[in-house]
Amino acid sequence: MADFFEEYEGYPNYEKMAIHDEAHGKTTRKKLWMVFWIMLVVTLFELFIGFKYSEVLGETNKEYLFIFLTIAKAFFIVFVFMHLGDEKKALKYVIIAPYTLFIFYLAFMVITEGVYTYHIKDIISAVAMHQ
Amino acid sequence: MSNQATAVPLKKDWEGGVSPFGVSYGKLFMWFFLVSDALTFSSLLCAYGFMRHKYFGQWAHPNEVFHHFPFLPGKDLPLAYVGFMTFDLIMSSVTMVLAVEAGHRKNRKQVMMWLFFTIIGGFIFVGSQCWEWYHFITGPEITATYQGVYRDYIMNGVHIINPHFTGANLIVNSYTMLPTFGDFFFCITGFHGFHVFSGVIINIIIFLMVANGVMDKRGHYEMVEKAGLYWHFVDLVWVFVFTFFYLL
Repeated sequence: MADFFEEYEGYPNYEKMAIHDEAHGKTTRKKLWMVFWIMLVVTLFELFIGFKYSEVLGETNKEYLFIFLTIAKAFFIVFVFMHLGDEKKALKYVIIAPYTLFIFYLAFMVITEGVYTYHIKDIISAVAMHQ
Repeated sequence: MSNQATAVPLKKDWEGGVSPFGVSYGKLFMWFFLVSDALTFSSLLCAYGFMRHKYFGQWAHPNEVFHHFPFLPGKDLPLAYVGFMTFDLIMSSVTMVLAVEAGHRKNRKQVMMWLFFTIIGGFIFVGSQCWEWYHFITGPEITATYQGVYRDYIMNGVHIINPHFTGANLIVNSYTMLPTFGDFFFCITGFHGFHVFSGVIINIIIFLMVANGVMDKRGHYEMVEKAGLYWHFVDLVWVFVFTFFYLL
């Protein structure tokens, strides 16, 4: 495949664009380690909350906090570790936008339906017993 | 950006002759593959969320199910081992991104070192998951008579229901009344564990390619970057599985 594109005159060699020197690498490594420490602290905080302070916070607040922290961690992984933050705008949108649209909608539908099913479960079984 | 790239002036994004996304063919399709794989995992987790809300109040408390630690039998350490597994996967993700960074500098020795650490981290994670499955299946207390393994069995033509049943399988588990709990655990962590396993295999192949100097011959280390994308995705999925299975 690479040979095919090299034969095509003027096609940029994207594989070699990411190559950088030592000085640039040093700042990149610094950033990566900082993100690692952030993720470690967030995970330890989650565990700490998880089995020490779940009563203090309340069940619903705890859930929202965990989901928020998880999405924050996911953001760091995708945008720093997977380098999506350094890519072009077009690639960022084509990866993030369809996925986010589908999944937020799916999660909303499925959770709503799950709560509804919980509430009508007893009614269904009562009706079934009568028949 | 290097000198090779700026030697030819780039055309406008959508006029043809250039990639509008500014990445190579392989990397773009690695991203598309990861999006479709992420959709699969998301739908599994959404189905899990449905069941969780449908059986509100009946679901098992993860603190009471996952509270054992290797080499410390009988100690009550809720979520400690899962926390260790998460740490291990994040750590191997960092070593992978350092391998990618070393590849950008075309430093073969450093790429090999960081990839080696990544592979070790992957093996630790897969081994930990085996251990956890074993304890999930056999239950918190393994009896000397080994009778707790089957809930019901037929002996001499008589159907015997074992009151000492502990552990889990696809039909029944001792943690809840709901078989769905065990099913979802096996399905989602198994699917993720399979991804980790294949990620380790991919990393080993890339390690051997780097060791044989294939990347130096090509003049770039983008293959390490693509394998890295997959490995980070595995870590990303675990972050979500960790939250929805073990914390909530």
